[in-house]
Amino acid sequence: MMNVRTMATNGLIAAVYIAVTALIQPFGFTNIQFRVSELLNHLVVFRPTYAIGIVLGVFFANLFFSPIGAYDLVFGVGQSVLALLITIVSMRYVKNVWARMAVNTLSFTVTMGLIALELKLALGFPFWLTWLTTSIGEFVVMALGAPIMYAVGRRLARELFNSSHQNR
Amino acid sequence: MSNHLIIGQYVPGQSIIHRLDPRAKLLIVFAYVLIVFLANNAATYALLSVFAFLFAALSRIPFSYIMRGLRPVIWVVLFTFVLHVWMTKEGDVLYRIGALTIYEEGVRQGIFISLRFLLLVLMTTMLTLTTTPIEVTDGVESLLGPLKKMRVPVHELALMMAISLRFIPTLMEETEKIMKAQAARGVDFSGGRFSERMKAIVSLLVPLFISSFKRADELATAMEARGYRGGEGRTKFRQLAWKRTDTVFFAAVVLLAILLCLLRS
Repeated sequence: MMNVRTMATNGLIAAVYIAVTALIQPFGFTNIQFRVSELLNHLVVFRPTYAIGIVLGVFFANLFFSPIGAYDLVFGVGQSVLALLITIVSMRYVKNVWARMAVNTLSFTVTMGLIALELKLALGFPFWLTWLTTSIGEFVVMALGAPIMYAVGRRLARELFNSSHQNR
Repeated sequence: MSNHLIIGQYVPGQSIIHRLDPRAKLLIVFAYVLIVFLANNAATYALLSVFAFLFAALSRIPFSYIMRGLRPVIWVVLFTFVLHVWMTKEGDVLYRIGALTIYEEGVRQGIFISLRFLLLVLMTTMLTLTTTPIEVTDGVESLLGPLKKMRVPVHELALMMAISLRFIPTLMEETEKIMKAQAARGVDFSGGRFSERMKAIVSLLVPLFISSFKRADELATAMEARGYRGGEGRTKFRQLAWKRTDTVFFAAVVLLAILLCLLRS
């Protein structure tokens, strides 16, 4: 059985993702969108199990707020799972927090191809152009989110664990 | 701020759609989302539209309410329509305005793809309008049940979903409280230079995370103290029951799929 503390923490991470999605309105259009809550994706670099909470957050946020509905449930969740898996595997080799965040940013940016595929299937948008525009939005949020989440991670480590966050 | 935001958009009701088993609704909506792609001519699109509108009508949710949910996607639909009219260069020429030529095929494609998208949004909106998030969670847990054999922690996932649903309103309230507290200290969330906006987000996220992680810790302690031992042998307060109406509705979707296969060109 999964650790009770892990389950509670991931449940709350998902809730934070949804609350941030709901309260900080995304700016942008289907093609170029900046969803601020996407910067929570960086949580995974502190501990791989946080990926579960992120994916659940994406699932509910898409269920509640996405205009494209069920489509985003499959492709949006799929993109997050894929990108997070790439990051988690790379974390075996990459130990530095900043480097991990860079890898994470890249994997989320590149996997936006899945979202472009979704928009091509659902709306007939041109694939390559959509990939470019969607990944710009994702890259901007993730790259700017890295220092923010670094600050958050450091404060969390100090306030909650009194030790290095990722070592616990 | 939180007053006008209804999480999950659920509209309480006693209609036949409301009372369908959440598993049936999930299956119907997902099947619909897949078979929408079988349509490729007027007859098949008409059939799909009739099904979706019947489904919406049976839910007894006021039409104006459903339309309000569709409003945000109107721009996407218009954009898609224009994109297709502009990009497609097949069929007879309908109009020629300066350098812009509109082809018959482009208009046809534009209408079909916009309609398909509207139908997709309508059906998924029906799911969220008639099903509470906790029912969705129960349905997902039950549908994913077979994956337990592949050692997928289905029960644990459903529990985490339930936890997050429980804490969304709490955390939204908390987020607003923090925003107000930080605004009182001079943080500007609505404007300012770029670096200031980023600092504003940090000043929101740090307290939000710290309080959430503390809450999670307290919750875990409470669960352990009450002897939570996972899904094994656990009974349920909300029982799902697959009824005959569920079978009828599911059969209707299967019939729809067969008809689409026959009518498509």
